[in-house]
Amino acid sequence: MMAETLVGDNMRVLVIEDDAEMASFIEKVLMEAGHSVDRAMDGERGLELARATDFDALVVDRMLPEKDGLTLLKEYREAGGTTPALFLSALGDVQNRVQGLKAGADDYLSKPFAPSELAARVEALGRRQVGEPQVTSLKAGDLEMNLLTRKVTRAGKKIDLQPREFRLLEYLMRHAGQVVTRTMLLEKVWDYNFDPQTNVIDVHISRLRAKIDKEFEEPLLHTVRGAGYRLQG
Amino acid sequence: MKLGLPTFLRTTTFKLALLYSAMFAAFSAALLIYLYYSTVYYIRTESDRRLDLEFEQLGNAYYTGGMERLSQSVLERMTRTGSTYFYYLEDSSGRKIAGHFQRMPVAPPEVDSKTVYFDFDQPEPDGSMIVRSAAGKFVRLRDNGGALLVAFDTAQQTAIVVRIQRAIFIAAPIGLILSLLGGVLISRGAASRADELARTAEAVMGGELGRRVPVRGSGDEFDRLGQRINAMLDQIEKLVDATRHTGNAIAHDLRSPLSRLRNRLEIALSQPLSQEAASATLSETVEEVDRVLSTFNAILRLARLEAGAEGERVRMDVSELAEELAELFDPACEEAELSFKSQIARHLMILGDRDLIGQALSNMLDNAVKYTPAGGAISFTVARGPDGTIDLTVVDSGPGVPPEARQRVVQRFQRLDSARTQPGSGLGLSLVDSVADMHGGKLILLDAGGPVGQPGLKAILRLPRA
Repeated sequence: MMAETLVGDNMRVLVIEDDAEMASFIEKVLMEAGHSVDRAMDGERGLELARATDFDALVVDRMLPEKDGLTLLKEYREAGGTTPALFLSALGDVQNRVQGLKAGADDYLSKPFAPSELAARVEALGRRQVGEPQVTSLKAGDLEMNLLTRKVTRAGKKIDLQPREFRLLEYLMRHAGQVVTRTMLLEKVWDYNFDPQTNVIDVHISRLRAKIDKEFEEPLLHTVRGAGYRLQG
Repeated sequence: MKLGLPTFLRTTTFKLALLYSAMFAAFSAALLIYLYYSTVYYIRTESDRRLDLEFEQLGNAYYTGGMERLSQSVLERMTRTGSTYFYYLEDSSGRKIAGHFQRMPVAPPEVDSKTVYFDFDQPEPDGSMIVRSAAGKFVRLRDNGGALLVAFDTAQQTAIVVRIQRAIFIAAPIGLILSLLGGVLISRGAASRADELARTAEAVMGGELGRRVPVRGSGDEFDRLGQRINAMLDQIEKLVDATRHTGNAIAHDLRSPLSRLRNRLEIALSQPLSQEAASATLSETVEEVDRVLSTFNAILRLARLEAGAEGERVRMDVSELAEELAELFDPACEEAELSFKSQIARHLMILGDRDLIGQALSNMLDNAVKYTPAGGAISFTVARGPDGTIDLTVVDSGPGVPPEARQRVVQRFQRLDSARTQPGSGLGLSLVDSVADMHGGKLILLDAGGPVGQPGLKAILRLPRA
């Protein structure tokens, strides 16, 4: 199966969350983003469903009746389950994040969260599953990045990037067409799990934008109001 | 209380006093017994020595002049005034030759020169008889078969011994009573001091937070304990005040955005809105709620941090983190028309939580960016500090913080009036301070030495080097 067909915009997502209102909220956000959603209200049922059906992504709450989120994920992974999972928790501190990731989650989000953050992260998860094969180059429109020579060109014109700008662009290109949030960029590009407050990310983005978009007709790097950024695919 | 004993009897001090009384009594008893026996021994040996002297002199008389000279000598001694000795001399057939007694008053001992004790009746001038006790020595005369007894009245000796015994029997109970009494007094004193502590504790528990343990100024252990407890109460009072202040501040800081929200929604409800206006209102509402939530998160984080529930310290290269942050903030400074300089010593290691240290440094840099007017300068340096520390320093050319307000700005929700127009929760420096605390370091705020009215702030996060 070709990667492109798998990463079609609509994914099938299993949401395991006991709080009905929260579950409805998540479902609504994901459906608006074009995904189809199955729901489980407790850990046992969630694990059963996750094993029985081939989902594209799991959204797992930490606190669940019958079987808590950590145990569920651990058992799922031990049994060989590979579907990427987003771990949700109301207790947004570092220890919880580390525990969740150790148990087999691929990403972590603490409540409360913005709908755009949830949508962006779930989308990023779905791509991840197929984005892993060894690629040596990335492409978004007429923008090209060679991961081996670290050369970036747009419409054949060479673009010089600082190391951090390169990593920022690489992440954006790997998630081309998706919305990525500021927090995601901080976590994945800078490896920061804290909030540097000042609009530091915006500034870095606008510098990058100046390099890749300024001299070209059609802008590639868009700001999505209230959510983050999207590199046009 | 069950036994109805007075408080002091149950105190540790009283038990100690009791123990000391017992030890004192045992020691006194040993001392008195030693005194008694050594006195008795001394008296015995002294009289033995004097008896031996008598015998030596009488022996000389016997050796030089025989029986005759001896009896003469005995008679002389009997009549000597002030003599305290009794004599008795008999011949080989047991007949009396000279002496105080009618006949030998005591059976001869098996061994010569062993001290013998006996009682005898002595006629008084009025014809009555009194019984006297004596101790003496008995010697059989060589080449003759006769025997000589020299004895002395033991009344004096007995009197001394009796006096010592009496002293012991009177002194011992008095000593014991005195030491017990001392124990009681001491422990009652201690019990009353302890009661003062207990009463203060009860008053404080009852809500009288300003109550303190009375200190007498004697500098004894109760005073020192009282001073410590008072210091602790001061600290608790300060914390309670801070908590109260935080509560008020939360109420105040959250009430205004929440009431703004409510008003906005109320207005939106009361009138028909175009689709456009409705979504504008709602997105403003969401932004407002997000601000409230982020303030809540900051409070929660700070509380968890102060409770020691967050953060895991590992050996880390703080220079590397600082380099990254410098790189992160450099463009933001440029955007804000501030010049940014960083000077970071390489590979300085600390024992720290990367996220928390990162957050603290970000807060310091963010403060500098926020409060420095355009055209100003920010510098970020990381270097070795005094006494095995590392100084992470952010200097800006902003309005600074007046010295009297520096203590205050690190407290929660405390913002300078001039800063109220800026966005922010008033928790930024509190978090830096808490992070510093948790890492065994401190946050130091100083003037950056700029011109009057614009001195700038020099914030130093000083952490121990690993």
